[in-house]
Amino acid sequence: MPEDKAFKNEVLRLAGSEALTCIQCGTCSASCPTANLMNPSIRRLIKLCLEGRKDEALHNETLWLCTSCLLCTVRCPRGIRPKAVVSALKEIAGREEKKSKDASYEELFVKQIEQNGRIAELPLTAEFLFVFPQGMVSSMQMGLELLPKGKIGIEIDRIRGRDEVKRIIEELRG
Amino acid sequence: MPIGVYVCHCGLNIAGVLNMEELKRFAESLPDVTVARDLQFSCSDIGQEQIQKDIAEFKLDRVVVAACSPRLHEPTFRRAISKAGLNPYMLEMANIREQCSWVHMDQPAMATEKAKDLIRMGVAKAALLRPLEPESIPVSKYVLVIGGGVAGIAAALDMADAGLHVFLVERRPTIGGYMALLTDVFPTNDCSICVLGPKMSEVFNHPDITLFTYSEVLGVEGSVGNFTVSVIKRARYVDEKLCKGCINECAGVCPVEVPSEYDFGIGKRKAIYIAYPQAVPLAATIDPKACIGCGRCEQACPAQAVRLEQEPEDIKLNVGAIIVATGWQPFDASRKEEYGFGRYRDVITTLQMERMLNASGPTKGDVVAPSTGRIADSIAFLQCVGSRDATVGNPYCSRICCMASLKNAQLVKEKYPETDITIYYIDIRACGEGYEEFYLRAQKLGINFVRSRVSRIEEVDGRLFLIFEDTQTAEIKRVHHDMAVLSVGLEPEKNAEVLGNLLGLSRRPDRFFEIAHPKMRPVEAHIDGVFIAGCASGPKEIPISIAQGSAAAAKAIKLLHKGTLELEPTSAYVDPDKCIKCKLCVDICPKKAISVKSPAYVDEAACKGCGSCAAACPVDAINMRFFSDEQILAQVRAATFEKKESPLIVAFLCNWCSYGAADLAGTSRIQYPTNARNIRVMCSARVDPSFVLEALRRGADGVLIAGCRIGECHYRDGNYQALQRVQVLKGVLEKIGLNPGRVKIVWCAASEGEIYAKDLREFIAELKAMGPVGTELKKLKNNRNEGEA
Repeated sequence: MPEDKAFKNEVLRLAGSEALTCIQCGTCSASCPTANLMNPSIRRLIKLCLEGRKDEALHNETLWLCTSCLLCTVRCPRGIRPKAVVSALKEIAGREEKKSKDASYEELFVKQIEQNGRIAELPLTAEFLFVFPQGMVSSMQMGLELLPKGKIGIEIDRIRGRDEVKRIIEELRG
Repeated sequence: MPIGVYVCHCGLNIAGVLNMEELKRFAESLPDVTVARDLQFSCSDIGQEQIQKDIAEFKLDRVVVAACSPRLHEPTFRRAISKAGLNPYMLEMANIREQCSWVHMDQPAMATEKAKDLIRMGVAKAALLRPLEPESIPVSKYVLVIGGGVAGIAAALDMADAGLHVFLVERRPTIGGYMALLTDVFPTNDCSICVLGPKMSEVFNHPDITLFTYSEVLGVEGSVGNFTVSVIKRARYVDEKLCKGCINECAGVCPVEVPSEYDFGIGKRKAIYIAYPQAVPLAATIDPKACIGCGRCEQACPAQAVRLEQEPEDIKLNVGAIIVATGWQPFDASRKEEYGFGRYRDVITTLQMERMLNASGPTKGDVVAPSTGRIADSIAFLQCVGSRDATVGNPYCSRICCMASLKNAQLVKEKYPETDITIYYIDIRACGEGYEEFYLRAQKLGINFVRSRVSRIEEVDGRLFLIFEDTQTAEIKRVHHDMAVLSVGLEPEKNAEVLGNLLGLSRRPDRFFEIAHPKMRPVEAHIDGVFIAGCASGPKEIPISIAQGSAAAAKAIKLLHKGTLELEPTSAYVDPDKCIKCKLCVDICPKKAISVKSPAYVDEAACKGCGSCAAACPVDAINMRFFSDEQILAQVRAATFEKKESPLIVAFLCNWCSYGAADLAGTSRIQYPTNARNIRVMCSARVDPSFVLEALRRGADGVLIAGCRIGECHYRDGNYQALQRVQVLKGVLEKIGLNPGRVKIVWCAASEGEIYAKDLREFIAELKAMGPVGTELKKLKNNRNEGEA
């Protein structure tokens, strides 16, 4: 695949040019609490960005598994911020509307917050299952376990000051 | 004052472009010029004889040679005129070859006009030359070596053998440094103390070495050739001369036991102790922090050497040179909390491993896991702990840790073939004679290599687990080892910081002492007469430390062996009546040559003549003996006497890099326009803002200042000072109403002739766009008038 220089430069602009100094030591991946679910690892993700392999860098679950714990950033011996690279990729993916199931979930999550100021589990799950019908069976199972324990909100609560929440989100979207 | 001017043809090198007859006639017309001649080759014997004959015949007292670069033949002509009885400093050269005929080959008429200006500038400066006498000062043939590690030992022995007398000052109670504590050393795995021990006793027994152990340097005054050093010899509470070194008698009865710093915490020693059996001098020391003063050792000592009432001694030394060999200290591994050093007993450092492997160490050579005391079945070596790590502020490679781990892994494997050994590394750096082969040997012995930087170590139920990503298989793993050895990096010795300040040594961003030039002057400090050897200037392996010790010794011998030192008479001097004691000069002097003892005083032995102080002095109380304010101003006025160029540029080039670059542009025949009139100064920091203002006032359209590239100044940081002054000056120009772009500062290395030419071309284009100097003032005036109307 040809190197996408514009993509690489955009990642560096957003995440900081320190990423150029990566020595592929793996400290970030081995520090990551969700590393065993990730493929590619954070280390490989940085390499993909540096090689301008845009499709591979954007089309993966790794981005959406990051919990922003920042251990990678604290430990990186080169002072790179791997978390910032992930955020940059999320931003680019969002801009280009590259949808994955986790991205859609995040979007619906934010939409609900924007509307109601908080989330209600059942409507959110229902809406999400429209986008991701494959998850129906497993969600049902979990839902049936959680429902009797009162862990799932059925009604939509609305908070006061929703306008303010809306304004904050708008501001963040720039 | 009769001046002789000699215009050189240099075969056709100059005469092929410039009109020699015109230049000669022009020179004759200048004030004070008694005789002007054109010579075929002025540097030849015939040419030199002609100059000498004229000196005698016309009673010339100064000479201008318009020929090649002064960097080439200034010494030749200085010798020639001094043979004819003139002071060698009564010579000025006009560079009409490298900076004129060779770079303006296709514009002979303009080049001839430029050459006339260069000659006029040369004559103007020559008229103000003063005879200078190189001063010769007696120097001490004693040398101080600070630090008794392997580099200091090598330096001390070489100098003492060559006939200098050496004072060796060591902070610890024994010399030998870290090398004395190591087990076998790479790449030949020979015993460290077996090769160092004999050198240590040679130092002790050498008639020309005076050894001060347990001593520290507290003060340094003076300059090259004559330093006065104050040293404190701390009380060791034992008479060094009486102690026989039997140690068992006194230490056997001592009731206090503390961790031994020579075993890095894994061994113990008593309050009265000898660091290790091969210590030099072999004399006990009482640790005042541990001693409870019970006096049992005093009673037990058969030689009656214990002196509990001993006082520290103050010693004054006079030396001609100082060698700094203060070495390094290991990175504190507990700073990397994720590795658990200090919390997990089985996590140790390289140095603890060295002591374990050492037959005279605390485990007598057994490699045991500290928590169990049993031989370890599997050992992990973790590379780059405290090196190549921005999170602890050490981005540099410590250079020796890869090899040290390869070596320790081999030693363990040879001793315990069943032990499983893994080295976790980012890159294996095995660059040295026989080093790559050493790496091969380790691989053949069956040592495992995993390309990974371990992220953290966990201890679960007393078992260590390493968590890492094997970057070659892209797997995240959690693996058990009985023991983890942290390959700690090298840091500059903390105790040497004060000493560095006393001597005025500068530090690199990595905090090690900076050498005068990163390639060409590897063992010299910025301060004359001070040399740096071994790890004080950065991590180094043993052979290089020894080579540096010997190199520093050779430099000191070269400096002192004659017993006298000739000083270049080009230093700064202070007019005591003008000095206001503001101390600005003290802070900026890169050689620490100025002190303010009401008024400021320049130590001419230390001054290298960069002239930054003269440019900085707010009341013009400092001037230079060579490149004086008056001489440079005379050159500026001569350059702007007749404005033949548009734009006309007055350029100040530093002697080392940019003047060299302009010369190189000439030897490379790079062609550029004739607009600039170059003035040579020792450093870009010499350029006093008043020179620039004078040039602009007299009609120059722009002033160019060129210095060495940032970070490469031959006087440490003169170019930064020049930059700072130019920035202030730009503000001043703006206030006056002149375009601040009329003064420009550029950097070029001596190898960058093309860059010099490019910078000049760009500046010419910028100045053309601005129009002649003063255009902006007229515009300003018109605007104002319009505003009033």
